[in-house]
Amino acid sequence: MSISLKIEDLTFTYSIDSKPIFEHLNFELPLNSFNLLIGPSGSGKSTFFKLVAGLYPQYSGIKNNGRILLNGQEIADIVPFERARHVAMLFQNPSRQFAMKTVFEQLVFALENIQYPTHLIEKRATEVLKKSNLWQFRDRVLQTLSGGEQQRVTLATVLVLDSSIIFLDEPFANIDSASRLVILDELKQLQLTQHKTIFISDHDISNYDGLVDHLYEIKLSSQTLAELPLTELAKLPAQTKVMQKNLPDNAVFSWHNLSFRVGERLLLSPNSLNIPKGYVGLLSGDNGIGKSTLFAAFSHQKKYSGNILYNGKPSEKIRLRNWARIVANIFQNSSDQFIKLHADEELGFSQSNSLHPEYWTAQRIQDAVNKLDLTHVLKHVNYQLSGGQQKKLQALIILIMSQPIMLFDEPFAGLDLNSLENLLMLIKQTTKDLGLSTLIISHQRRGVVEHIDYELLMDEQTIKRLGEF
Amino acid sequence: MSSKRINPTILVIIMLGIGLQITFAHSVSTNIVVIFVTCLYLCYCKASGKLLILTSLYAFPLALGSWWSFIMFGTGDVWHTAWIYASRVYAYLYLGAIVTLTVSVKNILLSLSLHLKLSSTFVYGLLASFNLLGRIKHQYKTIRYSAMMRGTTYHFWNPSLYLRIIIVALNWSQDLAEAMTSQGFTEGAARTLTYKDNLPKWQWGLATLLILLYFIFSFLVRPW
Repeated sequence: MSISLKIEDLTFTYSIDSKPIFEHLNFELPLNSFNLLIGPSGSGKSTFFKLVAGLYPQYSGIKNNGRILLNGQEIADIVPFERARHVAMLFQNPSRQFAMKTVFEQLVFALENIQYPTHLIEKRATEVLKKSNLWQFRDRVLQTLSGGEQQRVTLATVLVLDSSIIFLDEPFANIDSASRLVILDELKQLQLTQHKTIFISDHDISNYDGLVDHLYEIKLSSQTLAELPLTELAKLPAQTKVMQKNLPDNAVFSWHNLSFRVGERLLLSPNSLNIPKGYVGLLSGDNGIGKSTLFAAFSHQKKYSGNILYNGKPSEKIRLRNWARIVANIFQNSSDQFIKLHADEELGFSQSNSLHPEYWTAQRIQDAVNKLDLTHVLKHVNYQLSGGQQKKLQALIILIMSQPIMLFDEPFAGLDLNSLENLLMLIKQTTKDLGLSTLIISHQRRGVVEHIDYELLMDEQTIKRLGEF
Repeated sequence: MSSKRINPTILVIIMLGIGLQITFAHSVSTNIVVIFVTCLYLCYCKASGKLLILTSLYAFPLALGSWWSFIMFGTGDVWHTAWIYASRVYAYLYLGAIVTLTVSVKNILLSLSLHLKLSSTFVYGLLASFNLLGRIKHQYKTIRYSAMMRGTTYHFWNPSLYLRIIIVALNWSQDLAEAMTSQGFTEGAARTLTYKDNLPKWQWGLATLLILLYFIFSFLVRPW
């Protein structure tokens, strides 16, 4: 069956009184190809995908002008169960894509939606799970899977629907590089063997050279989409390693025989280590290995055995309220961090409760806001900011609090290189000036490792400092 | 599911049909019969004894409270009224338990959509929110910590805490709705359904019979 997806002269805005996200946009999706969309955070990558997937304007925004045509028919007029056979989407937030409890039920749910014949459903779901190497996961509870595993299940859900066009909106934001490569390879195979059209948006352009047929960028100046030459993908600086440095032995934060498990699975066997004061460390390790859980243990949100020590004293007896003034956890999910409605209220609240009010003067906060390019969104509601803007705001409000221990969980997910660098420099400066101990989980290494002082690797139920024995 | 069990839809009908009448009935004996019969069925289904005992204990203050207040402040036949209200609490409890403790939420909802044409939007919306319950618990802890980090404490009676949970839930539901739509879920449209259960005709008869029997005894015979 031939299929086409075309945008004609589209103008789209989120509200009547705001500037359009897209203006007079024209685009035709090249079929049976592998496409990549890049653009700074907040430029409208998610919006673009939700438009071509037919979700907007049903769920948000106003289409002022133009048409989006799937096989010559306005996409918004096609009922979802028809549409899903042609167009499907993977979302940024892996855990919020499931209506059902287990992997198998989720695939069955999708097949039932498109009215797949009842007696063939089980066979079809089984076949796709086996092909996607997810068979051993079939009865696992979705909400207990790691982000990478959840994305693979969503991909399987799309495959089970046999949609010809697959949009993936920042699908790797919370996924380690090994799983990312596996999924990218899987997608390329789908394009080559099953003639699927793949369209990914990604802030990180590494590993796409040779895979991609077309590269697009959202042009903020004209609110349209431009095709870039593929040579852009080869312009990558070489992958660097964290430089080995001699760091002082001045730790205020350490752990002794720390271990924990999730359900039956042991994630960390008794481990003892400390982190230096005034430096920024990177915590790396594979997807699902337990890095976020380690942060949860550090912030007394997760039960563990052994001791976490602050200034050499066990912390277990410290009241949670006081501990939260010592250990800050910058959550993977930005919206978990917000306690006010608007961006400027968040900043004001942090300023008046900061542990270092002498450092965080109004001027310094203003400079940081400018540097992170948040000036024009201060009056906006937090939850309506783009993924990248939320990340930056979230990091800033906790930096202003300036707890002695700062734990950042994927602070750069979805950020473009420029935003990333500005945020990282701000983290580094604050850490140094105030003598904080900062630890960052980041799957994104490019643009990050150059500025990191040391690296901890979590692997095989242990944590070790790289470069040591 | 064992075919010897009563179909979830029939259980819901019995629960509603008798539960509604209990509200208006003035008979201790019929309440006790309800408690006795439902307990027998729960034993037959090997429902979790621990859960049953726990919920019975939780309900005890409620039963005692209404019993005591009728003894103290009631008018007329205070003993009769007190026992009606106390036994009513347990009749409701076990009537509910025959549905919730013997069938999973998923099977109740799917059975209702199969036999009573309950809207699939309602069924899958509820299912999705049940599946997210664990995350909401986790979210509660996260939100409390996020507030403490900023130098403020949310106590469990604090409305801001619930406002935050509601905001988060609204965000989730938007994301979830978009994902479900993209997976082909269409409000009001036909779907195929792999869920199957056994609903022999005699079970409809059983429900009708039980509801009628209860009606006759509570409102016409009216034993003590």
